This record gives sequence, C-alpha cells and structure tokens, in this order.
Amino acid sequence: MTLRGIVLTAVLAAIAFAPAASVPVVAQSVAQKAWTAPRTPDGKPDLQGIWSYATITPVERPAEFAGKEFMTEQEAVAYEKRLLQENNRDRRDGTAAEDVGRAYNDFWWDRGTKVVSTRRTSLVVDPPDGKIPPLTQEAQRRAADRAAARRNSGRGPYDGPEDRPLGERCIMFGSGGVPMLPGAYNNNVQVVQTPDQVALVSEMIHDARVVPVSGVDARPPLPKNIRQYRGDSRGHWEGDTLVVVTTNFTDKTNFRGSSENMRLTERFTRVSEDTLLYRFTVEDPSSFARPWTVEIPMWKNHELMYEYACHEGNSSIAGVLSGARAEEKAAAGARTPGTPR
Amino acid sequence: MNISRTTHTNRFSRYRLPPKSCPRVLRTAWVRNVVAVAIALTAVCTTLLVAQNTTPYKAPRTADGKPNLNGIWQAFGDANWDIEPHAAAAPAIAVTGAIGATPPGMGIVEGGTIPYLPQAAAKKAENYKNRQTLDPEAKCYLPGVPRATYMPQPLQMVQSEKTILMAYQYAGAVRTIYMENPGPAPADSWMGWSVGRWEGETLVVDVTSLNDQTWFDRAGNFHSDALHVIERYTRTGPDHLLYEATIEDPKTFSRPWKISMSLYRRVEKDAQLMEFKCVEFSEELLYGHLRKPVAR
Repeated sequence: MTLRGIVLTAVLAAIAFAPAASVPVVAQSVAQKAWTAPRTPDGKPDLQGIWSYATITPVERPAEFAGKEFMTEQEAVAYEKRLLQENNRDRRDGTAAEDVGRAYNDFWWDRGTKVVSTRRTSLVVDPPDGKIPPLTQEAQRRAADRAAARRNSGRGPYDGPEDRPLGERCIMFGSGGVPMLPGAYNNNVQVVQTPDQVALVSEMIHDARVVPVSGVDARPPLPKNIRQYRGDSRGHWEGDTLVVVTTNFTDKTNFRGSSENMRLTERFTRVSEDTLLYRFTVEDPSSFARPWTVEIPMWKNHELMYEYACHEGNSSIAGVLSGARAEEKAAAGARTPGTPR
Repeated sequence: MNISRTTHTNRFSRYRLPPKSCPRVLRTAWVRNVVAVAIALTAVCTTLLVAQNTTPYKAPRTADGKPNLNGIWQAFGDANWDIEPHAAAAPAIAVTGAIGATPPGMGIVEGGTIPYLPQAAAKKAENYKNRQTLDPEAKCYLPGVPRATYMPQPLQMVQSEKTILMAYQYAGAVRTIYMENPGPAPADSWMGWSVGRWEGETLVVDVTSLNDQTWFDRAGNFHSDALHVIERYTRTGPDHLLYEATIEDPKTFSRPWKISMSLYRRVEKDAQLMEFKCVEFSEELLYGHLRKPVAR
C-alpha cells in the first residue's frame, strides 16, 4: 500500500468509526452523508456480505407507543428486557397441549434480542402512524370468497398436504420473502454482486433471487401470465441505492393480504460499515388504499449462512396428516363400536 | 488431475487443453537463437493442438483478473438419466408413455463404468428397480453435487472475488463457493461445503461434508456420506464451459473416478432462472397415502 493509500485508509476509517460512537438517532441522517460505502471494482456501492434482519421491533406500532415514532434509549432497554422475558418465560401453568405449545423458547428460535438500531417503534415507517393500511373492501371480499370456497369444497384443514399452509409445506416462509420481514429464525440474506447481477439469497428455504441490474444484461420482464411465488425481480441503481422492483406474484403469495398484482419496490442502501438499510414499499390499490413502507436497518452478520433443507427434513406434514387419519379412525370406531375396519 | 498432462486418448480428448509448456519452450529456443528449432517446435505444437482438436482459449477476465465464469449455463444431454453409457430404456411406470422413457446416451463417466464395490453394485441395481419412488429428484429433494450441475435445468454463476454463488433453477438449490477457506463445515448437508481456488484458467472446487441422501442420476447411481468431489470449471470458448469432477468415496467405490462434460451458455436474450418450487409436485408421491379417503 502506498503512503497515500495509508493516509486515505486512515481518513476513511476515522469517518467510518466516528458515527459508531453512539450517535443520537436524530443525527443519523447527517452521519449517513459523511460516510461513503466501499465500492466494487466497477464503482458500485459494495453491499456484499451476510446481513441479518432479526429484530424484536414489531412490524406495526403497538398501542403503548401510539403517537411516538422513536423509543428513547431507556424505553428501548426496558422493551428489550420485557420481550425477552416474555419469549423465554417458563410457563407450565396450562394444559399438557399448551405446555407443548410453549416449549419453544429462544433456545430454539433466533428472532433477535434487540430493537432496530434506529429505535423506531415499528418497522412500518409510512403511513406515519406505523400501521399497515386497512385492507380495501375488495381485498376483504377476496379473502371472504377464498374462505367460502374452502368451506364449500367440503375439505377440512387436514385432508391432504395442499390443505396445509405454505410454510408448513416448506414452499414459502414469510420471513424469507419476498419481501423480507423478521421471523422466528433464519433472518439472514446474503448479497453477492457482479457488474450485471445482484444475488439476494435468503437463508429461509435457500431462496435465491439473481436480479439483473444493468442495461447490458437487461432482459424483458416475465410475461404477465407467468406467476411466481416470489415474483419476478428487476433491479437498477439510483445513486448509491440498489432498487429492486418485483411483480408477477401468484394469487397464493398473499403478502399481508395483498393480491397477485402487488408491486413491490425494495431499496438497499449501505449506510455504514455494519448497516444495510432495507426499505420496501408495497403498492397494490386493490388491497390497500395507499402504499405503505417498511424500514429495517439490517446488521452485518459475521457468521456464515447454512443450508436450510426444510422440505427434505419435513416430518410435519406426514405427522399432521397421520394424526388426522388416526383421529378419524378413532372417531369412526367410537360411532360404530365393534365394527371391523 | 491436471488435464493438460493427461496423455491417453479417449472420447474425452476433445476437451483436452493444449500443453501449457509450448510458449515457454519456444521462448527458450528463441534466446538460443536457433531459428530452425523454433520453427520445428512450433510445428510440433501446432500438430499437438490440431491432434487435440482444440485451440487455446483464454477466458475474458473479471475485474480482479480471474477467468469470468458469470452467466447462465446448462448441460444438454442425458447425464441426469444415467451418467454411465446406456441404451434407451422403458419408463419406470407405464402411465407416462414414451415421455418417461430413458433416452440413450454415452454418459459422462471417464472409462464408461463406475467402479462400485460389490455390495454397492447390488444396491445400485436395487435403486434402479425402485427409481420411480426412491430417486431424490422425484421427491423434490436438493440435488447435491455433482448432480446439480447436469439437472435438465439452467444454473447461474454469480462470481465475486471472495464468493462465487451457484444458483440452480431445480428446486431453487443454491450453494456458496468460498474463495477464502472458512474452515470445516459444521455438519453434513445436501449441497455440501464448497471451497474454491484458481488454477490458471480453471476454478477448482473442493466439495466435502455431503450427506448420503443424494444420487448421481435417475438410474440409481449413489454414494455414501464419505463422498468427496473435486470439481474443475474451465472456459473452453465464449459459450462453453468444461465441467470435470473427481469422485472419491472409499465406502462405495474401489477407486476414485472422473466425470467430464460440456456446459453451454444460455444465449437467449430472455434466458433467466425461473421458479421451480417442486415441493407441490412431489406431495402426492410423498404424502398421498396419508390423504383423507374419499367418502363413498
């Protein structure tokens, strides 16, 4: 390294570490301007690495913080302490079934122990009340129609694998996205960049999106009739922000009650050495009266990501269906005692 | 397995790279100013190149000077049906008609035969008989290595300096090739633990910690959890990628063996990895017997 290089590195390091020393939340936008993200060889901000979006900050603002956009430092400490206690409390006061249901504590989960670094009281930052806009009448009717169709089909919730939720079947997990939202575990995304592509790999069910980001590699979006659980993503850079727009979702994806026409815009901005600011905006006029936006400051995870072979190790579906068949058999036996089956 | 030193000729020789020593020898000859020798050597080199039916190819470089392997690649052929040479065969279940028939093919195993230990050969035959229900592909399970490479669906390489991501369309499988060794894997997995390094034009990937659940193909060729795969990826042209792998598994095979095949760039303007979440397509096979019986 040349002398100039060493001096430059020292200056950059000073800039990089300055905001780390407990800058108040309100001053953060100023600190963001002073810090410049490292670059890839082609001059784009380097977003690469493994980023965690594990946090105990709720998606929507809880009543206790109504009208309050940020927690104070004391409130954040108290909130974290209380939630951890609630998540880990050893509750043995219920029935046997309840006892089993409560058996999972933070030994099993990995939902994080901290509120977001901005100390916002909700992940939803727009609308300003921190709440997802209520579903439109059309969306409510859609949900009601679906429920009615299920009832009228004569199928019960345990009749076959397709009657079980997508997560239980290892097809989709909400936390892995698209978009990403904190879940019980595997809240990690790995970013790998080339000049033409940005790969976003969710740890949750090893779902990879390889997003084209340059004109050189531009390819036409998927035709409207091709629908994918995780949609169809196209990216571009707006200054130092990677913008990824996703459409072509299925009518089964239903993110927070949305329709297959949801248009999702995700923004990734590296605002410090250890922070990748993730914002996404949901637009779907048939489901929400107005667009809404979530912000999660992802933190750099210095551990590696491991394979989550969900379907390969799935014993839930077989267990649930076998249980239901056993119950039916027992019920049939009770109705017609002594009948050979 | 330095392929440039391999001298035997078989059908794989079309993939041989030219001897790397030619230019250096020529330079020495020039220094000695023996023009005749230089001409003679050039002739020898040319003859060698012609004999090997290939020309030296230097791949375009990434910003850090490494061969650029970025792109969407796909195997074309029948390896996923059976990596050994095979004649056409009837479908495992008749209801698929000729659609389910095995197309014939020359396979990708160097020397043609997998050197199974006797007991393992018996298990392979058993696997073949029950392939319709036992093949992990039928269950939409992660394909493992090397099978992921030659599934009949594209893969995409996303090459960065410290990380090369391999994204496979089949089952949304993915693996990270670490170009800086992160140490041993914490546990066995379906897609294994991949550590890469560059040897000139070739990306060499050491794959360990593979579990014993995956197969090599639809014909029931299998391995144990002692499987160790050393892969080599070499660009041989703008749109061709040579894929070679050495397979070691002393619990299953009497000696290490090799596979070799071409991968082709998907050059269509709209080529892309699409979503193949096959869990839904496997559920009847896996859970059909647990469905609620239809009331009569």
